[in-house]
Amino acid sequence: MSTSPRIAITGSGAVCGAGLNPQTIFDAILEGRSAVGPIHYWDATDWPIQVAAQITGIKDQVLVDDRKLHKSISRTDLFGIYAGDEAIKSSGVPAFRTALPEAEVPGFNDRSGLVVGSGGGSYQVNYDFFPLLSSSKGDMVRFGQELASSVHPMWLLRILPNNVLCHVGIRNHFKGTNACITNQCASGALALAEAAASLKIGEADRIVAVGHDAPIEPEAVLGYHQLGLLSADVLRPFDARRTGTIFGEGAAALALEPLESAQARQATVIGEFLGSGAVSEATGIVQLRADGDGPARAIALALADAGISPDEVGMIVAHGNGTPNSDASEAAAILRMFGDKAPPVTAFKWATGHTLAAAGTLDTVLALEALNREAVPGIPTLHQVDPSFAALPVSREIRPPRSGIALIICRGFGGMNVALLVRGSTGS
Amino acid sequence: MIMNQRTRIAITGIGLVTPVGNDRESTWKSLQEGRPGPGPITTFDASGFTTRIGSEVKNFDFDSVGPRKLLKQASRCHHFALAAAEEAFVDAGIRPQSATGERWGLAVGAGMMSISLKELDVVHRSCAPDGAFDATRMAAPDYPADPVYFCRTQCNAGLALLALHFGIRGYSTAVHTACASGGQAIGTALKAMRRGLIDKMLVGGFDSMLNPIGLSSFCLLGALSTDNEEPWRASRPFDVTRNGFVLGEGAGFLILERWEEAIARRANIYAELAGDGNSLSCYRITDSPPDGDGPIQAIRQSLASAGLRPEDIDYVNAHGTSTQMNDQSECAALKVVLGEHLPRVSISSTKGCMGHLIAAAGAVEAAVCALAIRDGIAPVSANFQTPDPGNEAVNIVAGQSRRIPIRAALSNSLGFGGSNSCLTFRQP
Repeated sequence: MSTSPRIAITGSGAVCGAGLNPQTIFDAILEGRSAVGPIHYWDATDWPIQVAAQITGIKDQVLVDDRKLHKSISRTDLFGIYAGDEAIKSSGVPAFRTALPEAEVPGFNDRSGLVVGSGGGSYQVNYDFFPLLSSSKGDMVRFGQELASSVHPMWLLRILPNNVLCHVGIRNHFKGTNACITNQCASGALALAEAAASLKIGEADRIVAVGHDAPIEPEAVLGYHQLGLLSADVLRPFDARRTGTIFGEGAAALALEPLESAQARQATVIGEFLGSGAVSEATGIVQLRADGDGPARAIALALADAGISPDEVGMIVAHGNGTPNSDASEAAAILRMFGDKAPPVTAFKWATGHTLAAAGTLDTVLALEALNREAVPGIPTLHQVDPSFAALPVSREIRPPRSGIALIICRGFGGMNVALLVRGSTGS
Repeated sequence: MIMNQRTRIAITGIGLVTPVGNDRESTWKSLQEGRPGPGPITTFDASGFTTRIGSEVKNFDFDSVGPRKLLKQASRCHHFALAAAEEAFVDAGIRPQSATGERWGLAVGAGMMSISLKELDVVHRSCAPDGAFDATRMAAPDYPADPVYFCRTQCNAGLALLALHFGIRGYSTAVHTACASGGQAIGTALKAMRRGLIDKMLVGGFDSMLNPIGLSSFCLLGALSTDNEEPWRASRPFDVTRNGFVLGEGAGFLILERWEEAIARRANIYAELAGDGNSLSCYRITDSPPDGDGPIQAIRQSLASAGLRPEDIDYVNAHGTSTQMNDQSECAALKVVLGEHLPRVSISSTKGCMGHLIAAAGAVEAAVCALAIRDGIAPVSANFQTPDPGNEAVNIVAGQSRRIPIRAALSNSLGFGGSNSCLTFRQP
């Protein structure tokens, strides 16, 4: 049987349109403020979709101080590096390491791991080839000949999906086990699941999980819109009149380590990672099952992994992306797993936007805030719960969680579903 | 949760699509004979590029690897993946059924988001005819938006198509750590199997950057061999005259099963997937440290994970890209880890023959290790003649393949961004 250690959460970091740290973002949500606003990255006047939750008014060097680095990374990497740095800083690990005897530091770094969930790439990075396409006029020979004088020599490095992994590692000397997960919207949640698993098998002594994404660009907005997945005005999770999701951008990160080691170094424990479950519905790239098979199985696996029963769950942070099909099947799964005893259900994307690969990490960071403040935020854009799942306990009002344990549900393209369970610091 | 570190995992199926063969046995035969994959690039006119050679998959039947509807959404490398995965399932003699799909998992090392030049040119002609992108044109009614293209370019599209086509409904994940992706995917799969998340797994990697944008990205970095007149010897890992890698493409997949289950159904077992180690170099984004720091930790962790010592290793399938920096760093790491056993251990890089399959490399080379163990053959390190000064003791398989008993083998994959993966395989 399992002798695996309990996993403490000792640090967090987050950035999205709603704020620059978990506390501020959660304050905005509690107060009912959404970061959704007019798109200003391009002139969207004639666009069918003109809104997103953008990170605005923040200078790049506020996020990442090393200006030289800005040239060799993408916008999404700025967010990811910032959140990763913040989680590591707030975990107290760097201060603890500084106090170690010098001879122990290399071994300490080798046992410090990093798992990143990344959006995987953007369309517009390829637009750097447009001037070359124009000048070569369809002539491939000219294309090849003029390449070096038209495109930046380091072009590839700026767009590597694993840049955040590389640079958070370099900046914090985290040299241990690592992975970069590129599983679309499930990436960030899977990063957390993998991070905890690495600790449980003793592959690392501490590990930071990051999720990051910056999907607000014309081609991605158009692609989602064409699939009928975007709302043109408001994201209304589980509402009868919901019309789709709205893009957000940002990153979040959590620092994990065995509870015993966190206590030994007298770290502030902000929560505990209890378990995870991840499945695919095998439905292709954008389809999902109407019956909620995927989220239901993910929830069951997470409960089994954590060794808890459904009635011990105190609140649910649903994926709640506001699309008709995803919300309906997710509600079906929750009702199937919890029956009429479901705890308060909420969702955050109406405020943060859907941050895609970052969503599972961001929602987990915010779930911990909710548990530790004993407040399940309401959904102010909810006016009438869809009558086809009227029993789902969502609300416009702030409610107390039923216990100190939160379930977080994360869904993505490819029929991917991940469920995570965390306990707040007040829940023993 | 089952948390047995030493749960034994059997490799019971292998499928390959590579530049030296469109299936497992033809690839393996070519690798043993050192038959070269590289040649002049034929899929587009590369005559204007500084590098005009590549290691292409040849005579591949794209239309037969799945139903038309599925293939519409598949990019070039997804076709390779579907073919290699099918071969692996046939080889294993077992595949997911509707009742067992939940207990099958999937882990892939997937390439970067790849947009073909043709697809990019659609955006270029519509929105940036003079080179500067104008988003307003993308929202115009006559913009030729293509939702299928949008789906195909999602970062987990390959994963989603494989899950759909083969009915895999359990734990599913995609990783991208550049050239370490394939190795890391298999390491992730091993951990998922040991955690008891699933009973059986399809795991592998697929990539194709042999298109104008992909070739451009590496030409710009100066990472490719420019031996355009002698493509067959352009890739010469560990040779003192090496001058860059040769870009390849392909896919490799393995079927993993719990040892007892494989034995119980009398499956053919190639090898045991015995260990996984990975580390982050935290050095530079494109280079591995000259002293082998980083790869050293990954190799040691992999040995520990397998419960083996350096003296147990008979063969190493090196990352060996044929770049100055990689091969130097990797030799340094092997010297440190293998120590006094170094002269006895046969080391080869099959990239000399096959080229560099990027995100697929680690998966294909894992398959090569399993075949090497099955047949007791260390495949030749093609085109190797003269070692770097000081590396004379590194026992490269020069000239021709060696018939030796292989009790255990290592496979290294070292990626841009500093991720290092090492897998350990044992004789069944």
